[in-house]
Amino acid sequence: MGEAIAVIAEAKGKPGFFTEEVIAFAQALREDPTVPVRVFVPGMGIGVHAHELARLPGVVVTGIEGESLACYNAEAWKTALAPPIAALKPRFICVAHSADGADFAPGLAVRLGTACITAVESFRRTGAAVTFIRSTLKGKLSMEIAPEGGMAVVTVLPGSFAREVPPSGAGKNGRNGAPIPPGREAPSPFTEEKGAKQKTVEILGIPPLALKTRTLGTIPVPDQSADLTAAEVIVAAGRGIGGEENLALLGRLGACFSRSALGASRAVCDAGWLPRSLQVGQTGRRVSPRLYIACGISGAPQHLAGMRGSQCIVAINQDPQAAIFQVADVAAVEELTLFLPLLIEACLKRRGTGGRG
Amino acid sequence: MKIMVCVKQVPDAEAPFSISSDGRSVSVAEGAWRLNGFDAFAVEEALRIREAFPDTTVEALTVGPARASDVLRRAMAMGADRGIHILRPGEDDPLPGEVAALIASSIGGRQLDLILAGVMAEDDMQGQTGPMLAEYLGLPCATAVMAQKIAPAGEIARVERELEGGLREALELPLPALLTVQSGINRPRYPALSHVLRSRTQPIEIIHAGRLPVPPRRERIVRITRRETSGKTLFLAGTSREKAEYLADYFLEKALL
Repeated sequence: MGEAIAVIAEAKGKPGFFTEEVIAFAQALREDPTVPVRVFVPGMGIGVHAHELARLPGVVVTGIEGESLACYNAEAWKTALAPPIAALKPRFICVAHSADGADFAPGLAVRLGTACITAVESFRRTGAAVTFIRSTLKGKLSMEIAPEGGMAVVTVLPGSFAREVPPSGAGKNGRNGAPIPPGREAPSPFTEEKGAKQKTVEILGIPPLALKTRTLGTIPVPDQSADLTAAEVIVAAGRGIGGEENLALLGRLGACFSRSALGASRAVCDAGWLPRSLQVGQTGRRVSPRLYIACGISGAPQHLAGMRGSQCIVAINQDPQAAIFQVADVAAVEELTLFLPLLIEACLKRRGTGGRG
Repeated sequence: MKIMVCVKQVPDAEAPFSISSDGRSVSVAEGAWRLNGFDAFAVEEALRIREAFPDTTVEALTVGPARASDVLRRAMAMGADRGIHILRPGEDDPLPGEVAALIASSIGGRQLDLILAGVMAEDDMQGQTGPMLAEYLGLPCATAVMAQKIAPAGEIARVERELEGGLREALELPLPALLTVQSGINRPRYPALSHVLRSRTQPIEIIHAGRLPVPPRRERIVRITRRETSGKTLFLAGTSREKAEYLADYFLEKALL
């Protein structure tokens, strides 16, 4: 097993753009920061994208090109990626814990005979050993897992690693001095330096694959969430509001603010209390309002991924152990149906006195 | 059609829990273990397929200690025809790679048309068991499925899986296949009392994990700890009314009201 670290880039044309975050994670994982991270880019017509990624510092790119890779397909991804990764024998294979990453990474790990640790938020290095840290039990607990030697496939929960570095601005440097890749710049293909420099992009062609699964394409969803992304204040409902009938209380709280919208946790949409388009989270909307009021939301990492960019987070929940309190600025351990009427009354009183009460 | 649903017993996330002295497992009081919520959606989906395809049997399978048979009873109370318990003694929660290998070995050469599982377990949230099992069995697999339709002849499934930003992806898989089901695909039924009573007498086949080939263990849990709050969180004190007044003042200071 080598010390190399591999990253598998996200498929083109998918809504998640997590590749750069995963590269940053992989670079921080390196023991020797002079060794570049090997980024595998599966797809079709990936030349421009491969060269773009290769411009990031400390990155070399292996493009894997074939007509079977024109769109994401778990079978094709595993079949195309396993041989070159097995040949490289990287210590870690880093993948975004996106819809696609979570889909193919565990199977790839079985195919390669490696460890597999998913939805990783950070890592800890003790000497030569590396352990990975992730959430369990709806975010109430933290689990530290160690690969038992050999290679390990690691999926990185989007938003969890990047938050430890400044989100924007020049001269960024992450932990361990790892360079953080710049934002997406205008494509400037084929700027690869010629001459004696190390070749930073290689493209492997693969023949057409016999696949059982057929990808038919993405289905657009009607977007009713314009209010959600434009709102200054989001009042978000979790399963802890008790029942659909209590949504009216959240609506009344929202009405105390001038530009507010109602949001929801996955559980609330699953129960059919609110439409799916109002779901905030990794697979729902990502929001960053001035104020996010989480009502009865437990705070699973998938929900936090969608709202932790909020300027101010107020959490109201009767479970003092709820994970939402870990990210809240202000926390009230209260029963919502009793507390919200008091809060609405207090807010209205202040509005009633011209906002200077 | 033969459908297998993989189910897991998990601690109720709202119940008080304790971490074992070795720091590697979590336990709750006897009555606070329950069927993983994501798996309830998978059981429900299997039952709906059975309603559409007569001559279908639904079996529920779990891996765990003796207490885990409760989730098989729950699945049967919902309507599953039989239960299979891969009995793995011990309170340590096995990692997904081990679980998937045990299930794959237990299936052996048995023909199944469809395997369903929840997209993840509520406790360890890894989402690995389903796609790993598919890989062990050489089956096509789709995860986070939000809709499925099996063609009338029962040979192909058209599914939609959940992507980011509310998008979905459509795909077709020939059966046999494995699908992991995302929450919200359906509303799991509440077991009727008559089914609950019947489930108590339905057979559960027990397979001793120790008699299956030793599964690989490629990672280990180092420790499980309680999450700390960031330290910047201000927990409001006082009566409910005082907290409400404080919060309203805070909104006003931030010029939000």
